[in-house]
Amino acid sequence: MGIPTTYTEQELVLALKERNNQAFGFLYDNYAGALYSIIKQIITDNSELANDVLQEVFINIWRKIETYDQTKGRLFTWMLNIARNASIDTLRSKSYQNSQKNQELPDNVYKGVANQTILQNVDNIGLKKVLEKLRPEHRVLVELAYFKGFTHEEIAEMMSIPLGTVKTRIRNALLQLREYLK
Amino acid sequence: MNVQEYIESGIIESYVMGLASESERAEFERLCSEYPELVAARRKFEESLEGYASENAVTPPPEVKVKVLEAIGNTPSRKPASSIPPKITTMQVQKEQPVNEPASTPVLLRLVAAASVLLLVGMAYLYYQTKQENKDLADTNDRLKVSLDTTRNVLQHILDEQKDVVSNPNVTVVNMVGTQVAPKSSANIYWDSTSSNVYLVVKNMPKLPSDQQYQLWALIDSKPKDLGVFDATDQKMILKMKNTQKAQAFAITIEQKGGSPSPTLQKMQSIGKTLQSQ
Repeated sequence: MGIPTTYTEQELVLALKERNNQAFGFLYDNYAGALYSIIKQIITDNSELANDVLQEVFINIWRKIETYDQTKGRLFTWMLNIARNASIDTLRSKSYQNSQKNQELPDNVYKGVANQTILQNVDNIGLKKVLEKLRPEHRVLVELAYFKGFTHEEIAEMMSIPLGTVKTRIRNALLQLREYLK
Repeated sequence: MNVQEYIESGIIESYVMGLASESERAEFERLCSEYPELVAARRKFEESLEGYASENAVTPPPEVKVKVLEAIGNTPSRKPASSIPPKITTMQVQKEQPVNEPASTPVLLRLVAAASVLLLVGMAYLYYQTKQENKDLADTNDRLKVSLDTTRNVLQHILDEQKDVVSNPNVTVVNMVGTQVAPKSSANIYWDSTSSNVYLVVKNMPKLPSDQQYQLWALIDSKPKDLGVFDATDQKMILKMKNTQKAQAFAITIEQKGGSPSPTLQKMQSIGKTLQSQ
């Protein structure tokens, strides 16, 4: 196809807001892999579902590009959050929950999730690989907040630790994460 | 405020990764407009996050791209016309694009828009309908209330009158029964022999054509005495009729509207004898 079309982020956003299909193709080719990675880190056990979510995410990006506000962050950050939210929504959807039903049913659902999260250590990809470098008590909190989508309040309840501690630990964990990502 | 301290609090990472609370987000966005160094720090983290994510990308199956492009109304195999060399897209080209390629309008988007409009219309209709039903119910309620008040007044009126009539020891009750012509007709006469007052309580009298009325008679020594006319619509009301001191019997006939000087006995509806007849 000759010279590949490239865009700066600014140009790309403008082209997308003008409904440029070519720009959208470029966006997909350049970001689908990174977004697919985060989706698979959240939906760990069902590739087909992860594919569906990726499809939904890109359709949503195309639809909602008008609402993207550059002053609030980079395009990738915006897309990453769309992908993360869509994955967590799927994880919490009824159909997904039902498909998980034949697995263990712990007495305390919260504790169950927490234990599962601590034990789940295999095949880590992407950000989860960096998380391994964190101390376990920090890692589990980031796991629950970022990859499972629990609020700080929910985590405080399920781990039986004060809300303030949850917040501080997550903040500290994220600061460490920043150092690892550099 | 100490911006450096704020930056080192982990708020930036929290914000970028979508873990900040609503109020933290609002505060962060507000401070970003005041402190450029905050924006710079945010960008730095965003870039390293993006860089890491790109390095750790997982290639999705190719059919996902096909489905996505189909969904947004693009043909994935579409190639630029050979006369136009591939080029770096600039803003001008982007602006021309919609004019040059009308066929590439996103079908899904249109469907979604159409569906949204339909949904909106549907909801507006439902809203209107519910509102209308509410109004109808309120109106009906008002009407029922008025009707109830009227009925209550009427009932009170009847009770008041009945108290006067029924509780008076001098009042005799004459039970009027139907004749062969009108076996179902029935009424009661309350006759106060001291005051000569005659009250009529219609229990069951068929409705008459508008040119006819019922007429009550007192039979005194086999001679009828007119005690007044009434309509079947006065049902359930105590009617005060004309007075009479004597009566061996009371009778009701159907007469022309306004009454007749003498009863049409063939049309006698009901009759009741008094103690004076014995």
